[in-house]
Amino acid sequence: MPDLDIRNVEMRFGGFCALSDVSLSVSSGKFITLLGPSGCGKTTLLNIIAGFLHPTQGSVLINGKGVTSLRPENRDTAMCFQSYALFPHLNVHDNVAFGPRQKRVARAETQSRVSTLLSQMGLDLHSTKLPNALSGGQQQRVALARALAVEPGLVLFDEPLSNLDAKLRDQVRSEIRSLQRELGFTAVYVTHDQAEALAMSDEVFLLNGGRIVQSGKPRDIYFKPKTRFVADFIGAANLHSGPINSGAMTTPFGPLSVDSPNLSMSTVCWRPESAALGGPLSGVVSSAAFQGSYLDVFLTKDGETIRLQISGDQHLEVGQTVSFGVPRDRVVIIEDTDTGQANA
Amino acid sequence: MPNGLRIILLLTPGLGLVMTLMIWVLYRAFAQSFGLYNFNGDDLLTLSHWQGMFQNRRYWNALEWSGYIAVVSATLAVAVAYPLVIWLRRPFKGSFLLSALIKAPYFVPGLVAAFLLINVISYHGFVNEFLIWIGVWDQPVRMQNDKNGYAIIGLQVWKQLPLAFLLLSGAVAAIPDNVLHAAQDLGAGTWDRFRKVVLPMTVTAMQASLILIFIGAAGDFTFQAVAGPTRENSLATLMVTYQGASYSDWNGAAVIGVTLMVLSLLGSIVFAALVQIVAKLMERV
Repeated sequence: MPDLDIRNVEMRFGGFCALSDVSLSVSSGKFITLLGPSGCGKTTLLNIIAGFLHPTQGSVLINGKGVTSLRPENRDTAMCFQSYALFPHLNVHDNVAFGPRQKRVARAETQSRVSTLLSQMGLDLHSTKLPNALSGGQQQRVALARALAVEPGLVLFDEPLSNLDAKLRDQVRSEIRSLQRELGFTAVYVTHDQAEALAMSDEVFLLNGGRIVQSGKPRDIYFKPKTRFVADFIGAANLHSGPINSGAMTTPFGPLSVDSPNLSMSTVCWRPESAALGGPLSGVVSSAAFQGSYLDVFLTKDGETIRLQISGDQHLEVGQTVSFGVPRDRVVIIEDTDTGQANA
Repeated sequence: MPNGLRIILLLTPGLGLVMTLMIWVLYRAFAQSFGLYNFNGDDLLTLSHWQGMFQNRRYWNALEWSGYIAVVSATLAVAVAYPLVIWLRRPFKGSFLLSALIKAPYFVPGLVAAFLLINVISYHGFVNEFLIWIGVWDQPVRMQNDKNGYAIIGLQVWKQLPLAFLLLSGAVAAIPDNVLHAAQDLGAGTWDRFRKVVLPMTVTAMQASLILIFIGAAGDFTFQAVAGPTRENSLATLMVTYQGASYSDWNGAAVIGVTLMVLSLLGSIVFAALVQIVAKLMERV
């Protein structure tokens, strides 16, 4: 199983810099996600790994071997495309068998791989159907089976769930993860859906403006965002700026405890679900939406608004004054005040 | 009013007129080949015109010649069009101009094109004069009216290439990039991508191109008359010979006309079937 090493990759399209000095490393059998907003360069990076694009600078290594100038057909990778990219003139069986046949795998072995994968994906009854006779979820499974049939060291996923409805997305998401654990391949997954990234990944690389702005385990990215952009992009975040004196920052809602010495000027962040009712802070309910398992509440004070997510069995009225607290260890000081805007 | 009858009535003004004219012309040709509508005597239903033609060597030579020119021209035009279409699939600097140049022959009348070619390849044409001037050969070489019909085939390919180009470019452009990328990602090189993805996905356009070019080339008169070998006739030139001042044999000309239609129909069927078989074979090789 290969390690993936990307070293100082830069990609320019004319005067536009799509990727700038991107470096990352992936260990064998890991599931990593390239996460970021549209246009941040994540698909460009995936295309560079696959070999469809050649970086302007930098290098790509798979299993320690430089593959930067290697053509896609000669790389140990397989891609699952956003649009599935199934061959419309081939039935499900032949779509899945395409890769092994291309790689000159023995006929019996090809048949065995195809049968096993179709069975694993629950597609054995559809093997003679053409792709246009399948549902979106089934097509996605065929695309996954087709990619896995060549037994690649590295599987690349380009937003594979974005065309599926919410329920199917959850189902296919867990299927992909289970398969990855079972078969042990290394996966690079591109998405703009932060929930998908947090749920599936061993490690998340968050990109913005062609740069990796933060990487780490999903929990670290979520609870310890380094920049305002990361805090804002990954889930909902409440941000306050100001000086920290004696372990607290003065906010319109009251003193917010921060695990830090005195700082002249800083920005802090905390998650809406970190708050609990009752505490030194207070605000007036401007809106409250029942979401089943939790109550989504917006509090306002002195023209500033924050968001709380509290237990769904609570009942708050608009206009009601609510007191709340945030545990000190859930308040994070953001290292910079970078807005994360794209660079060119 | 029953729905079926209403549909027929609604289609009648357009489709009805076309069908009537087509059937009338076909009927006239068939009937004339069997002795009816005789302009040189009494109408007499007979097989003698067909029997006479079947015993005529010039008829079989013309049939063979037209078939040869049509098959080779259609195959070559499509074979040349495919790489051009794939090359120009995605726009690049100058691709618009190249596309326009490829389509330009469509706007040049066949007679003019043949005349221009004669200027180029005749005994004292540009090619001979130039090659003598640069010393490649000492005296002019005969290229005009060559016995293998290369000049006609060249003209047919040049003239029909835009048709193949237009039909194929639509089909090739409709193949999503991701599908080609997927094939490449799974190990397919350039040739494999062509035979396993591009060819099967554009087979209908290829069939249409081959059939249209085959029919056009099989019925060619102009190129044959101007640039063809003097000792060969195409079905069209033979038909005009029979119909014109040489024989005034309208019934014989009708036999040749019907033969040309049958050749076009059979050629189209055979070409369509062959393309399917070849595409399947190439996909599996």
